[in-house]
Amino acid sequence: MNAVDGTDRAGAHNDAEPPSLLTIILDTNPHAWSLLADSLPLSQAIANLLVFINAHLAINHANKVAVVASHSERAEWLYPTPTQPGQEAADLNGTFEPEGNGTSGGVNGNLGGPVKPLDDANKYRPFAQLEHALLSNLRKLMDTTTVDAISSVPSTMMAGALTRALAYISKQTAAHPGATANSHFNYSDPSSIAGGNDLSANNGSGSATLGLTTRILIVSVSGDLADKYIEIMNSIFACQRLGISIDVLKLAGDTVFLQQAADTTGGIYMSLDANSRAGFLQYLMFAYLPDQTARNHLIVPGEQEGVDFRAACFCHKRVIDIGYVCSICLSIFCEPLADGNCLLCGSHLTMTNFGQRPAVIPKKKKKKKKTLEGSVGSPSSGHATPIPG
Amino acid sequence: MSSTASQRALDYLEQLPGTTFTKLYQQPSTALAIFRRMLPHLAKTLVMAMLYMPTPFSVADLDLWMKPGNDSLQARDRALSVLQRLRILFDGQDAAGRAAYRLSDSFAKSLRLALTGSGNHRSFGVPCSTPDKTPVTVEYLDAFARKQWDAILYYVVGSASVGLGGSVEISPGTQQLLQKGEFVKLHGRSAAITQTGFTFLLQEINAQIWTLLIVYLEVSSSLQMDPVDVLSFLFTLGSLELGISYSTSNLTPTQRHMLEDLADFGLVYRRSAESTRYYPTRLATTLTSDAPALPNNSLTAATTNPSDPGSNEKGYIIVETNYRLYAYTNSPLPISILSLFAQLHTRYPNLITAKITKSSIQAAISSGITADQIITYLTTHAHPVLRRQQPILPPTVVDQIRLWQIEGERMTAWQGFMIRDVGSQEDYDKAVAYAEALGVLRKEFRSRGSFFVSRMDQMSTYFKGQVAKKKAAQAQAVAQGQNSKGNTPLGTPSKA
Repeated sequence: MNAVDGTDRAGAHNDAEPPSLLTIILDTNPHAWSLLADSLPLSQAIANLLVFINAHLAINHANKVAVVASHSERAEWLYPTPTQPGQEAADLNGTFEPEGNGTSGGVNGNLGGPVKPLDDANKYRPFAQLEHALLSNLRKLMDTTTVDAISSVPSTMMAGALTRALAYISKQTAAHPGATANSHFNYSDPSSIAGGNDLSANNGSGSATLGLTTRILIVSVSGDLADKYIEIMNSIFACQRLGISIDVLKLAGDTVFLQQAADTTGGIYMSLDANSRAGFLQYLMFAYLPDQTARNHLIVPGEQEGVDFRAACFCHKRVIDIGYVCSICLSIFCEPLADGNCLLCGSHLTMTNFGQRPAVIPKKKKKKKKTLEGSVGSPSSGHATPIPG
Repeated sequence: MSSTASQRALDYLEQLPGTTFTKLYQQPSTALAIFRRMLPHLAKTLVMAMLYMPTPFSVADLDLWMKPGNDSLQARDRALSVLQRLRILFDGQDAAGRAAYRLSDSFAKSLRLALTGSGNHRSFGVPCSTPDKTPVTVEYLDAFARKQWDAILYYVVGSASVGLGGSVEISPGTQQLLQKGEFVKLHGRSAAITQTGFTFLLQEINAQIWTLLIVYLEVSSSLQMDPVDVLSFLFTLGSLELGISYSTSNLTPTQRHMLEDLADFGLVYRRSAESTRYYPTRLATTLTSDAPALPNNSLTAATTNPSDPGSNEKGYIIVETNYRLYAYTNSPLPISILSLFAQLHTRYPNLITAKITKSSIQAAISSGITADQIITYLTTHAHPVLRRQQPILPPTVVDQIRLWQIEGERMTAWQGFMIRDVGSQEDYDKAVAYAEALGVLRKEFRSRGSFFVSRMDQMSTYFKGQVAKKKAAQAQAVAQGQNSKGNTPLGTPSKA
């Protein structure tokens, strides 16, 4: 009779892994890549990235991929190819569907987007299509980059790219056939605000519904994101709420906020130096390829590293250790406000004993030292218990 | 479930000799298909991590990488076991002489070629350079595939004569194949369905194709067809794109011969037997994927309008807790399948009502259908309304169907190996835990110090490893052959 207790009823459906959507944000800032030309030129990085994308697609037939370029003055889709407004709306979600849009389009001679891959018997066709689309879009992006644009803006549009990626992910999640009522995020439920790790753990257990697991991989080469601090942090918190983990692979530069992004959303953060940059592909294949399902069984790298939790001020976009926070709207400022009015919410703030700060701290220290010496010196405390450290 | 399909293919592949694997893995398309279809998720991760690794991956490092905990341990052992069974992963040594894993050279090379798209192997199918004068649409291919495959199913279900206007006769070759696979038995001139046939019918379509293809593989090797040729062509078919014509120019004679048979199954479409181009149908292109094999499930084909694909894609059966069953179909094939285990009640233009009763289930069981097959069939073809809940089928119905079955069946027979005299209690516990982690443990008899496993190959390597460890530990002491082991193949007890 043991066979009928029915405990394995739901277990039978757990063997299939949920498909995974990988959104890659590639920092294509020409300034930063030109600095890397010796150790890892862009062309080589793209070649490695293509192998990585193919590996991701090879893992599961239903896996999808999207690539956004975070360029110097704008964020642009590299794959899937964006369609012009005049074209069919159906092509907008022209993701990786081997027997979907591309096929029927090929027969009718009406391709979604300007992509016409070469017929090559040595390449798996979906891989070839992706490669062709990505490379031609990247080339177009580079061709349309003007000298003025580079010279005027040296940074990268990470915030814009993150927002685009998020919009795409939520669209894909909603369109996924496996999406059921309980796999959607409940915006009205305050209890669902939890740490990124908890959320991703929930996702893993909900895999029985075969929903789409999503993550973002940021390949970053440039630093200096402070001027888009608010936008980036907002995207990061949105990812945290949606249970999307952000993996960050840092090839060069130094950004505080991407490390925070990986930490908050339960993603992987790694920074490569000039020596390890040559092993770009192996880093990708080993650390960044496992999706949420596989990570349940693996120890992910970079968990032990200390995270830099510094913030950027809202007034001058400086990265600061200690700042001033508006008690009403929690805006951060690097120096006390001139008229005492918050720049964002306009509340009048008073700082009564602000000016005493430099004088107060040495006083306290002296007092503490005195009491410490006094206590050590007094016989009542006893010598048998030395004070550690 | 499609996992049964890959399980069947896995079982077939496993019994091939090692040299066949080496030849198989020469083709990047085959390597990619096996990687994608046959491996557990963690195994894929492992292979990808090792693919561009210059040195072997040491066992200790792998252990460091895995999270501690029983679940992860079990997943790791299963992944390694499948990889070794498919001859993808081998034991080796790293530079420091520690135990390590390395990938099969030919497999790794082919997979790398598949990912980078380099080389000149032309294994992903050669598309026709000239456009077809009268192009074949995807809809036409779907219709063709459905017609061919349904004909086979009708033949098996034995309803070929019932109200099927203008159906295709299945070729004598296919008929023979179905008899070889013991799906049908010939009684004089009429074919009668067997138990294997029922299993076949109740499977999901992708699993059906694989079941038939494996029979085909077994038959073909007796006809002096090279199984490597046959298999690699099948895997190539899985990587082709629907709606594109491919050239037969670089196929081997065996593969050209196969095209005829595959056209009979509905896997490929050729305008004539001499045509130099062939179109893979959806049955073929989804061979190595989990995508639904036919867009509108073949069983509901008659009710669906081709202009709205996807409306009936998921299934058509609603089962209620009161054992009533509603099936939105009017095609005779699903109706006759349903009538195998349910009592039909009313028929409307697009709907059948039926009831699952004790007598209907027991009649099905007496003809060789198992409760699990019925449940799987109902689950696979459940209506989207049912799919929204978890579990999909009402638990009362599922349990009752199982109960009705075990009323007649009090005994299950497993083939396997009995292991006894393992040594100390500690050794015994370790061995049992290992067998459980591998998923091969069937039953342990703790009081008698013996246990029963379904597969022996990995257990024996485990015991050899244990013996080696013991010997190393007792090298200075007098070695005692205490951990002797006896493997007694157990005969299968006949059913009561």
